[in-house]
Order: sequence, then structure tokens, then C-alpha cells
Amino acid sequence: MCSPNPSAFRIIRAAVFVCGLSFATVVVPGTSQSNLPESLAGTTVDALKLSEGRVVVMLFVRTDCPISNRYAPTIQRLSEKFRGRANFWLVYPDAAESAASIRLHLEEFHYAIPALRDIHHTLVNRAQATITPETAVFSESGKLVYHGRIDNWYEDFGRSRPAPTTHELEDAIRNTLDGKSTSPEHASAVGCYISDLK
Amino acid sequence: MNFAFIRHTRTCFLCLAVSIFSFVVVTFAERRQSPPIASRPVTFSQDIAPIVFRSCAPCHHSGEAGPFSLVTYGDVKSHARQIADVTNRRLMPPWLPSLDGLQFEEDSHLSGEQIALFEKWVADGSPQGDPSQLPPVPKFSSGWQLGKPDLVLKAAAPFSIPASGSDVYWNFIFRSPVNLSRFVKAIEIHPGDKRLVHHANLLVDRTQSARRKEKSPGSGFAGMELQIESEAFDPDGHFLFWKPGSSPIVEPPGFALRLDAGNDLVLNTHLQPSGKVESVQPSIGVYFTNEPATKFPVLLQLENDRALNIPAGENNFVVTDEFTLPGDVQLLAIYPHAHYLCRDMVALARSADGTEKTLIHIPRWNLNWQAVFRLAQPEPLARGTTIVMRYRYDNSSDNVSNPNNPPQRVHGGNRAVDEMAHLWLQVLPSDSPGDSRDPRMTLQEALSRHHIENNPADFESHYNLAAMLQARGAPLEALQHYRAALALRPGDATVENALGGALLAANRVSEAIAHLNAAASARPDYFDAHYNLGIAQGTAGNFSDAVRELTTAVKLKPDDAGAEANLGAAFAALGDNQKAILHFSRALQLDPGNTLARENLEALRGGGADRH
Repeated sequence: MCSPNPSAFRIIRAAVFVCGLSFATVVVPGTSQSNLPESLAGTTVDALKLSEGRVVVMLFVRTDCPISNRYAPTIQRLSEKFRGRANFWLVYPDAAESAASIRLHLEEFHYAIPALRDIHHTLVNRAQATITPETAVFSESGKLVYHGRIDNWYEDFGRSRPAPTTHELEDAIRNTLDGKSTSPEHASAVGCYISDLK
Repeated sequence: MNFAFIRHTRTCFLCLAVSIFSFVVVTFAERRQSPPIASRPVTFSQDIAPIVFRSCAPCHHSGEAGPFSLVTYGDVKSHARQIADVTNRRLMPPWLPSLDGLQFEEDSHLSGEQIALFEKWVADGSPQGDPSQLPPVPKFSSGWQLGKPDLVLKAAAPFSIPASGSDVYWNFIFRSPVNLSRFVKAIEIHPGDKRLVHHANLLVDRTQSARRKEKSPGSGFAGMELQIESEAFDPDGHFLFWKPGSSPIVEPPGFALRLDAGNDLVLNTHLQPSGKVESVQPSIGVYFTNEPATKFPVLLQLENDRALNIPAGENNFVVTDEFTLPGDVQLLAIYPHAHYLCRDMVALARSADGTEKTLIHIPRWNLNWQAVFRLAQPEPLARGTTIVMRYRYDNSSDNVSNPNNPPQRVHGGNRAVDEMAHLWLQVLPSDSPGDSRDPRMTLQEALSRHHIENNPADFESHYNLAAMLQARGAPLEALQHYRAALALRPGDATVENALGGALLAANRVSEAIAHLNAAASARPDYFDAHYNLGIAQGTAGNFSDAVRELTTAVKLKPDDAGAEANLGAAFAALGDNQKAILHFSRALQLDPGNTLARENLEALRGGGADRH
């Protein structure tokens, strides 16, 4: 069965454990903060507040973006590598993508990372995200320390390296966990434009 | 004289005036076209949908290669900026040739005006406009585009693509159940899940040579490049190619492809991991015709892989090849091919008088979008025209496609980390008056000689040239080139067999036996080698040896009338008439027209003298 890890969250009002995905989602029922992203159960979630005191990694993806999808094994691998040290969230910014289609997407790509629907682009703005796939790393104090590409695998649409030669996301997480500043703070990503979703 | 001169000047003056006038009109017309777009919003229904339906939707709809659909207003709006960006930078629609070469079918270039419309649509807020102005939404069928095929072949087993990693190249063998020669007017390739397949090339394997690469029958085999063996001069002059968005080709009348009993079709696919484990199981639809082939195109290959010796870090390494046509041809299609380091490709036709015409220019090569480019109109190329291939390679770290990090010295080869410099041309050779030879043969012979001149260690060219020389009755020179091929690949069963066969034809029986023995020991299940060796032993009077080899041949290929007939003859020579009759009869069952079996059988049954 699933092995929830409630200690990962400081504030727990009610926990819904999603079996098969082996992560815990925290639901804030009946909140009035309607611009906050939603969990797949349809309740609002303040991901940053929930993860206070921990490094937070957001990954902006959409179900139909081929570059997002090709990154799924990399994203999953990184989330496993930093399990227990950084909280990973998959953020779906497309209002047209239903919770059901996202659930299917998580299952298809073997994601075991909690997913949020950021239909009001609250997290998009907070993370200064413009592309899917794009990442944002927040320090323990909630400061945005890196945003942009995961690595340099893609140079442009249809033009990728056989393997990435720089690893901006991994470097940023490690530096932040080590209490070091990370550089660069931003590197442009290649993929689908979030602004097209407005 | 004087009068004529004045008239001439006036005429000229008039011409000049007309051309200035038309120039002004054109400029004015362009200026006049702009204001309407500037003065009203660009809308999906009126301006964008016609472009998207024609140029994007054929790939971008459900079940096709495009990763997302671009059919409805919502689809297109949710990718509007991305579309404006990728069209503006001409990354989409994918189309490699620039406009300075010949015109090709399915040219998907967008005009500058169309690209500007996307930009303005985004700037205007991507409005839908009046839905009543929407052109008819294209209807796409997911089945066979050419209708129900006469024969559908499905790969025996699916191939599993890992979730991540570099591109994968996999070959599927389709075993054709056709048991008599048929002509094929079209083959529609369904590569499987089209999102995963970058391109696919189908080759006819007349000798089942690719099967030797499979670990078990039907398993398929890995490999970026595919080489097919042919036992005789019988070139397939057709490109059977699939890429995303391409329509299946029906060969024009007379251009049918011959498919014989026992032929295999081998599909070479370029696959890309999607982020999850995927599976592809291609199928092909074959469409027969009763019209036999009357026109025989040839695939000419220019190449210079030997010159590929690119130092690490070199960003401007040029490789060329030049071949002068020995006869007139019509150019029908072009397939340029290189791997990941190539940046820029040019193919030119240089006439005998030195004038050059660009056939194709690919200023930004991208292996992912490689294609066969079919000419909108056949291009006549006269005898004496030189085809020039000029490719430029970038082996620096600035080339993001570089498979090596850090860059390494790269040579020519078949692996993805090796390079290639190939230019394939599909041409239709014209018969040359006064030359009774097959013009295809003249072309291929000239090309093989050219390759050998470029690279004396070119195994395939020595072998092919030898086979052609043998076929056209120049056995002495054929032997030279077979020997050269054998020196390059000592012990190669195919060459040992061909050389043995050529020696046997030249009546040099003991030399023939030595080479045929080598072929049969190198590949014990090689029917041709045992068959030829049996005949050679019989010719030498070693009938017991002949019986042994031909018995093996019959076991390997029980439906071969020739092997049965010769085995019968060997038994007859040994005086075993009972077995002789048995094998002659089997030969006649397999092929009632087998003369050797019929005449011998008549002789034996009639109690007459042995015909040996």
C-alpha cells in the first residue's frame, strides 16, 4: 500500500493519501483564497506555506507538451534523489487540463510527485515561469533562488543535445540545501509558452 | 538599315517602360495589401484557420505525429505565441531545403505574409472572430490513406522504446507471403505510434540477407544504417520513405516495383523516447497493380565517407564528391543523408559548359527532419553533367547535436556517433542511341568505378562492379574486382561464393571449388554456396561430392527445382538411376518447365544413353 509521510508537512488539517502515487497531499477545505492552486481533489493548496522551512522545487508542465513529457524520467529521478530534503510539486498551469486528465498523465509517466492545478497562474507569477517545462527553486525561507530550465538538453524546438551538459536545477537544489547561493539565478527554458494559456 | 535600327531602339525603350511600370504596380499592390490587416484584428476564423488547416493540422491532429492537436480555435490559441515564434524562426512547419534549389513536392514553406499574420494575431490578443467565416475543418481519416490495401503486413513483434535516453534505431523485417512475382504500385507505411517515429525507410531484401541479423525470427535488429545484399544486378530504384505528415506515394504508370516470392521488406526506423516506456509495431499496406514496370529508375549514391576524418573542435570541415553522368537522365527525387555533425548541404549540377545549378541546399541540416525530396517537375540532366555534393560539418561543442561531449575525432561509419556524407538521387536514365546496354547498368558501372577511384578500399563498389561485369560478359575484369573485394574482406561468404561462381563460369573449376568450399564453410546454411559447389564438383567429375553438396542444398531450400534436378543428375552419373529418377521427378513437380530434369528423365525412362 502507499506509505504517506505526513511529517513532510508542518500544517496538516486533513490528509488524503493517494494510493498508487505514494505521496501525501494536504487539502485545505473550504478556504476562501480562490486564486490558490488546487489539488487534484479540487481543494486549494498553499504549496509554499505548507512547505515552510523546506526547499521547494516546482516543475511547470502540461500534459500535451512533448518536451515536458520527455523530461518526466529526469524530474522523477531528481525528486527521488532529494526525497526528504526538498519538496517537489508538479504544477499544471493549463486551466483546460482537468484533474482527471492530470491523474492519467501522472500514471502514464510514472510520476510520484504531488500535482497542482494553477489555473489562476498564482504560482506561475510567483515563480516567474514562462515555459513548460520550467522549474523554480525556493529556499527554506521561501525566496525564489532559481527559475528556468531544468538543464541544457534542449537548445531549441526540435534541436536537443544527446544528453545535457549543464544541470541547472540539480545544482540549484544542492546549493540551496548547502546554504550556498546559486548561480545563474535564471536560464531560459525551451518548450511551450505558458502565456498562451491566458 | 537605318530605319530598322530606329525601330529596334524604340521597341527596346517600350520594353523598359513596361517593366518599370510593372515594378511600380507590384510595389503599390503590396502596400495596398497591408492596410486591411493593420486596420482590423487578425482573427482565427478568417486569417489563421486557413493556414493552420493546410500547414499544421495534417500532422497536428489526434493520432498523428504532432504532439498536440491544432484543429480547433482552443487548440491553436493555447499555443499561439509558440506558433508565432516557431513559424517566424522557420522551425515549423519542418522543411529543410531553402528556396535557392529546385522546387519539391509537399514544400511546406510559409510565406512571409502568413508568418506576419501569426505575429499580428498574437499581438491582437488571438481573437476567434466570426465563426461563420471559418473554412471547412479538414477531415482526417486514421486508416489507410490509399484505401484498403491488397496485402497488410504487420511486424511480428512490437519493439519497446525506453522512457529516456538517446534516439533509437530499430529494423523490422516483414516476411512477404507473396508466392509469385507481383508488381506493386504503392506501399503505405504505418510506422506505429507516429509521435515516436522520426522517419522510416523501407527496403526490399530479395535474398533475405537481413534475416541473418535477427537473434530469432521476427525479433528485428538494431542499427541506424541498413545494408541489403543482392545476388544479381537488380537495383531497386524506389524510395519507400515515411516521415511525419508525408502522404503515401502511388508510383506513376510504368514505375511499379517488382516483388518476388520470398522477398522480405525491411523497415529501418528512427525512434525517439517520449518520457515513458512506449511500444511500436509498424505495419505496411501493399497495393498491387497488373501494369508491369516499364520504367526503371535508379538510385545513384554519391558519397565520400572516407574523407570524413573530422578533428575534434573543427567547425568547418568540408566533404565533397563529384560524379559525371555517362548518359542523359531525368532527376526525380533527392535524399541527402548525414548524421549529427553536418550543418550545411549543397548538391549542384554543373553543366559541361561550367554553369552551375543548385539542386538542393539545406542551410541548417537537422537529422530529425530528414526526408526524401521529390521534385515537383522532373529535372533533365544531360550526359556530361557533373553532380557535385558539398557538405559542411561542425565537430565543435557549439554544435548542440554533437554526439560526443567533449568533441572527439569523428570518422565515417554506421553508428550514430560516426558521420556520413551521402547524397542519393533517384534518376530515370534515358536509352542512349546506339548503345544496346541497359542504361541503368551503364550508370551504375560508371558510379562504381568512380567510388573505387575515390576509395580503392570500397568493398561494396568492387563487389557490385564485379557483379555487373560478370553479368555483361566481361568475366576477366569481374574476377579482378571480386578478388579485390575478397582481399578487403577475407573469407566473406558472399564474395567467396560469387568469385567461385565466376571462376566456374570461366571453367576454372579447381579454383572455383576452393572458393566455394570457403563460402560453404564460412556459412554452412548458405544455399547458393552448396548449390554452386555441387555443380562445380559435378563438373570436375567428383559426383559423390556433388551428391553431398546438392543434398545439403536441397535440405536448405526444399522448393528449389534446380537443386533437385542437379542432384538427380549427380545420382545418374553415379549410376543410381532410382534416386536420379526420384529427384528429377521432384524437380518437375516443383517446376514443370525444368529442362534438365525433363530431358534426363526422358533419357532414363526411355532406357537411352545418359545425356552426360
